[in-house]
Amino acid sequence: MMVAMMLRIYCWENFLRIDGLDWHLHFPKKSHAMMLVLRRLLRKRWVLGVVFGLSLIYFLTSTLKQEERSIRDRTLLEVKDSDHRIPWKVRFNLGNSSRQITQCRNSIQGKILLTDELGYVCERKDLLVNGCCNVNAPSTRQYICKSCLANGCCSIYEYCVSCCLQPDKQPLLERFLNRAAKGFQNLFTAVEDHFELCLAKCRTSSQSVQHENTYRNPQAKYCYGESPPELLPV
Amino acid sequence: MVLFLLLASTLLGMLAGLLPVVGMQSEREANPRSDYQPPNLQPLPSPASSNCSQLTLKLEFSSEVVEHEYIVAFTGYFSEKARSLYISSALRGAGDKNLEWHIVPRENPASDFPSDFELVHIKQASSSSLLTLEDHPYIKRVTPQRKVFRTLKYIPSPEPAAPFQIVIDCSSCFSGLGHGTFVAGVIASMRECQGFAPDSELHIFRVFTNNQVSYTSWFLDAFNYAILKKIDVLNLSIGGPDFMDHPFVDKVWELTANKVIMVSAIGNDGPLYGTLNNPADQMDVIGVGGIDFEDNIARFSSRGMTTWELPGGYGRVKPDIVTYGSGVRGSGLKEGCRSLSGTSVASPVVAGAVTLLASTVLNRELVNPASMKQALIASARRLPGVNMFEQGHGKLDLIRAYQILNSYRPQASLSPSYIDLTECPYMWPYCSQPIYYGGMPTIVNVTILNGMGVTGRIVDKPIWQPYLPQNGDNIDVAVSYSPVLWPWAGYLAVSISVAKKAASWEGIAQGHVMVTVASPAENDSEVGGELTSTVKLPIKVKIVPTPPRSKRVLWDQYHNLRYPPGYFPRDNLRMKNDPLDWNGDHVHTNFRDMYQHLRSMGYFVEVLGAPLTCFDASQYGTLLMVDSEEEYFPEEITKLRRDIDNGLSLIIFSDWYNTSVMRKVKFYDENTRQWWMPDTGGANVPALNDLISVWGMAFSDGLYEGDFTLADHDMYYASGCSIARFPEDGIVIAKNLKDQGLEVLKQETAVVEGVPILGLYQTPSEGGGRIVLYGDSNCIDDSHRQKDCFWLLDALLQYTSYSMTPPSLSHSHSRVAPPVGAERPLPQRLEGNHLYRYSKVLEAHLGDPKPRPLPACPHLSWAKPQPLNETAPSNLWKHQKLLSVDLDKVALPNMKSYRPQVRPLSPGESGAWDIPGGIMPGRYNQEVGQTIPVFAFLGAMVVLSFFVVQLTKAKSKPKRRKPRIKRPTYLQQQTATAGKNPTV
Repeated sequence: MMVAMMLRIYCWENFLRIDGLDWHLHFPKKSHAMMLVLRRLLRKRWVLGVVFGLSLIYFLTSTLKQEERSIRDRTLLEVKDSDHRIPWKVRFNLGNSSRQITQCRNSIQGKILLTDELGYVCERKDLLVNGCCNVNAPSTRQYICKSCLANGCCSIYEYCVSCCLQPDKQPLLERFLNRAAKGFQNLFTAVEDHFELCLAKCRTSSQSVQHENTYRNPQAKYCYGESPPELLPV
Repeated sequence: MVLFLLLASTLLGMLAGLLPVVGMQSEREANPRSDYQPPNLQPLPSPASSNCSQLTLKLEFSSEVVEHEYIVAFTGYFSEKARSLYISSALRGAGDKNLEWHIVPRENPASDFPSDFELVHIKQASSSSLLTLEDHPYIKRVTPQRKVFRTLKYIPSPEPAAPFQIVIDCSSCFSGLGHGTFVAGVIASMRECQGFAPDSELHIFRVFTNNQVSYTSWFLDAFNYAILKKIDVLNLSIGGPDFMDHPFVDKVWELTANKVIMVSAIGNDGPLYGTLNNPADQMDVIGVGGIDFEDNIARFSSRGMTTWELPGGYGRVKPDIVTYGSGVRGSGLKEGCRSLSGTSVASPVVAGAVTLLASTVLNRELVNPASMKQALIASARRLPGVNMFEQGHGKLDLIRAYQILNSYRPQASLSPSYIDLTECPYMWPYCSQPIYYGGMPTIVNVTILNGMGVTGRIVDKPIWQPYLPQNGDNIDVAVSYSPVLWPWAGYLAVSISVAKKAASWEGIAQGHVMVTVASPAENDSEVGGELTSTVKLPIKVKIVPTPPRSKRVLWDQYHNLRYPPGYFPRDNLRMKNDPLDWNGDHVHTNFRDMYQHLRSMGYFVEVLGAPLTCFDASQYGTLLMVDSEEEYFPEEITKLRRDIDNGLSLIIFSDWYNTSVMRKVKFYDENTRQWWMPDTGGANVPALNDLISVWGMAFSDGLYEGDFTLADHDMYYASGCSIARFPEDGIVIAKNLKDQGLEVLKQETAVVEGVPILGLYQTPSEGGGRIVLYGDSNCIDDSHRQKDCFWLLDALLQYTSYSMTPPSLSHSHSRVAPPVGAERPLPQRLEGNHLYRYSKVLEAHLGDPKPRPLPACPHLSWAKPQPLNETAPSNLWKHQKLLSVDLDKVALPNMKSYRPQVRPLSPGESGAWDIPGGIMPGRYNQEVGQTIPVFAFLGAMVVLSFFVVQLTKAKSKPKRRKPRIKRPTYLQQQTATAGKNPTV
């Protein structure tokens, strides 16, 4: 906890070298008289004061503006106006078990467990060649919400996906999609169907962290629900 | 004048898989590039993107004879004129006067050179005329001209073919720095400064604000998008020291577990060791270091072992490979080329190469983060004279990687692939010190790469097989390893120790460790099938007889804490751009020079990664405690006292600890959006004082800085403390130093006379050890060191090991009476510090944190040897390659011709050179919150005071000196002839 991300950039510009620069100002001879007037004028303290004051104001406004911009940058991911609607095209899985399926997509990443697109969770060794879980294996379960809390957050990703694939989660997901922050638009407009939505929704995201480098709740961080994980003290 | 531009942008590149990028295309129309877009998750259209779908290539040949055209081949090479002469003379000999013929003119540049054939157009050629043509002594044969047709047909196939790519960036769109453009160009530029894989599809994301601030949460969301889009390769030309940022590290694992090949820059913090950056230091990521075009490791390239494993273990080898990163040419912001340096540039070179490689593999199932990494490291060319903690496996070799990848079979492999502790300099630091009986076990942390699947496990246990003819039974080996190899990788830590029977033996011992890795077989028709792969890890060590106690120095690693996770401030307060102590404080990281020096002086240096209760003090002459931040168990304090009574000596290099200064160096961190308060000073002086109080010694909370001379050596005291108490029969050296505490707190300068900085003490008990205190660790630390004091360390070790008091110190005129420390209270621990969160010793309690129960000392279970009557090859390296790939049999092109060339600069372009040890903006964003109001306030005060002065002076007009008016005019006339104007 309490650790800065401190990302850095790994390269730098090769820089310019200008040899023999001469910075003396050069005025044409003709304007000598004018020059002298100008020079006197510049000597006047109030003129210098005005120049200084103006540059100070410029400096302050530009730094403040920059500050404002950085604040705006960092709040981009936070929830925006709720009246923004995204045209969703997610096809929901209505739990039609009669549907014949020959090839399954699955959650790929799991260390031990995997969830297939029909909502079955199985161990890697029980995965069939077509990517589906072997439904006859003793440990295989469909639509299982093991390790999930009431707020829709689970401690195991595969169970979160399985739970999220339950047909009765559709209204919840639709509600979430309609309220999703603008920052998530790109993610969720790219989602095609219920399974992809659940895979994407259950992943940890910007909503899962506090102080950037700590989970809000390290135990239950994978959420299919609307709310972010419960905020635990650091 | 030098224009110093530091770079602000960043770039994340990814190579994507296959889904049609519908969302992205609609966005291309909706969001023109110039519009402001949220900085993350906004794919930007790239000029390099091409819309490849999955295709297979079908090739067809056909040929037909071209009428009246004949190829006349000659016996040798002749000029155009001679050829024409021969043909006309030959045809003249045919006697057919009506023969119409002409030579088809050639219009290529090569036609100026002699040739051995000619194309002749002969109308109504009779076979006899052709035969006479062939009769000519210089004509070899005549054949009809044929036209060859080759057709290429692209047929859509269900299999993935062309890789797509995503680059995350876009600082260029707003801040005009163009580093995203550059990196994208290296990967995929099509025209000027061609990239590696122009046909890849780029997905570009911006990951930094204009102020170069970035947040973990942005990466989390961007990576989620990358996973959803089934991207193939992701280039991350950024990183940071915080490998304990769990959400980020977990997400990188998740990314590679989803088959995204991740390439990342190792960092620009070289040549200091212990400077590796996350995520490039992860096992599942390809970490890339930089070299220049002369094949030298670029000075800036981060190096040294990973520090995740400290203090108990030993770091892994990183970077994985190196490639060109200095003065690399890529796309400019608007047009043309420019050159850039940094590992940011080396990373896309590898990402581009990986993209290209991935596109060549016919069976895309075989390409995964592990197999790609295996191919890259097995094919890399080792650079001579560079150790593995700088170059990894060597320089990227694209052709060889291609050959390996195309004959690749899923398997496991090891990195490093063998352990030869005698091989110098590649196996530095292992080769720098032989092993002996009774020493701390030497640990080699090997990474297992598993190309067979995202998860894997080690079957049974690794087997240790010593080679009896090569004295393999003289060593004991213990192996620990990841219970699950996920994602694609795991560790295999090999601890090597000398068997008791070889306590006085000298020689080389060899053997090997056999590891079998198994992964679930996904393409197996049988459920529960497994793929297995067995790898052999040869081991070769040099054993010497146990050195005498006085030669053995023990380095205390257990009590060194560092960032991450806690805020342990830098030891030199002048180094404001680097506020954290993050290099690991190990003899093989930022105390490397000291280690090398001690080795050259004949000392044997061992590292203690466990509490002080876990070593046999009778084996060691000196315990070296440098810059310790950790607390001590009460048992440790008691044991150390007993050890010193029994003849162990102790040298402590302390550092500053001042609670006011600690409060002062707190900062607001933009990244974590919270205030950061240090948990100790440079060292944990109150804890050290608890340790040494029994001898009537203590360090103060003073903070001193300055140059001085000690025994004819120039010294620099960089933010150290002083000795507050010392036994009266000890030797104490004092110097005049600046009070840096005052300078930090009040911006005042004051010199303090006679600051006690060095103390030497012989404990009174019979055969008791000696204790040396010094108040500053900066002079033996490689980071930010200005002047080294290895001579002092030598002198102190002479004192502690051999009881020889250096006369330059005992008779120094700087010697003072030992301080009794009555005038100032000793430093107390900072109220409300959070050291217990990071400490291995403390745990939180109501009220003050209390020590935990003393942990058990680490216990290694030695592997049961299965001896072999076998002889090892003399060179272990050559024999370690991936299975089923024999590179020696593959004809390789001359590698010289494949070297990228440094082209001359085009007009108007800047010359290129490195900024060694670059300082990166946006790295630490402390003081951002503080400085702006301070500046505003100061500015307002200046304006106010100006007007006040103006008002008071308004009545009495100040006199002006007039003669000065003419001089500038004269100057102007003079300079007018010089005629140089800045042309910036």
